[in-house]
Amino acid sequence: MNRWLVVIGFLWVATLNSNLVAGDLTDQKCSELIAELQPGKDAVWRTIPWKLSVLEARAMAVKQDKPIFIWAMDGHPLGCT
Amino acid sequence: MRQSLREYELGTFAFDRAQVMAEVNAGKRADPDARYTLSPPEGGLVVRVHAKVLDGYDAPTSDSEAVFQTALSRDNLWITAKEQEALVAGEVPSALQRRIARFHLVDNTRGEPPMWKTDEIKSMRLVLEDGKLVGAVHLETADGSRGYQAELRGHIKHVGSAITEFELVALGQFFGEGTYTRNAPEGKFPFAVAFKLADGTDVADAVAPQGARGWLDGYIK
Repeated sequence: MNRWLVVIGFLWVATLNSNLVAGDLTDQKCSELIAELQPGKDAVWRTIPWKLSVLEARAMAVKQDKPIFIWAMDGHPLGCT
Repeated sequence: MRQSLREYELGTFAFDRAQVMAEVNAGKRADPDARYTLSPPEGGLVVRVHAKVLDGYDAPTSDSEAVFQTALSRDNLWITAKEQEALVAGEVPSALQRRIARFHLVDNTRGEPPMWKTDEIKSMRLVLEDGKLVGAVHLETADGSRGYQAELRGHIKHVGSAITEFELVALGQFFGEGTYTRNAPEGKFPFAVAFKLADGTDVADAVAPQGARGWLDGYIK
């Protein structure tokens, strides 16, 4: 009887884990996801020397005699909206 | 934009260069709004946070939809100096665990997400064992319309009192969406969040966490 309970219990746990991708989070999977979830270094927009402060950008622009391209949006600067 | 650039090249673009130069040289500037000009905690850490929906979308019906479906989000996690000390000592402070759960285990891949309320943290456990981070989290709204249940795993390394590596991954099932993050996959979908210590080489490393904007005390506490 106890043996069957152990088997049933194991099956229940196994079923739960199959519904959770998290059950797959091994050290190797962790390293793979860290690598996968990084922005590509070759993205063109990343080659632009962005400034976070428009005043700092203005000071640099006027000293280097360059115009400023402003990419502005409401909300968080890192947001994608 | 092309017209403006052409005028700039020709020198006919209407702006008073001398006045701008004078203002720049004088260091003239208005008082910044302290709520939105935040600096990372002194002696603390900045950790890059990226999230991604791993599967579950229907085929995109437009190019822009495809962009959202494959988007990798970006935010920063701030860790205070005291929390760094605790991590080096082998503990994960409850405030840091709560901050990670509330403000960083969010689906911000399609826009600005709703953060989790304190009572939406059904459970959160993150412990350090010999430099390895292990834990699990369950977040869910009271009405059951949005949730995330995930396993946590990672590691830290330190030299003396300074943490030199901090990596953490959350991997699990997310469901639901927010007002500004519409068009999530139907039902539950696999969702991952990766944390990696910033090295200051990316200009975005200096941006304050979204959860801290206008509410630093609430973010840090």
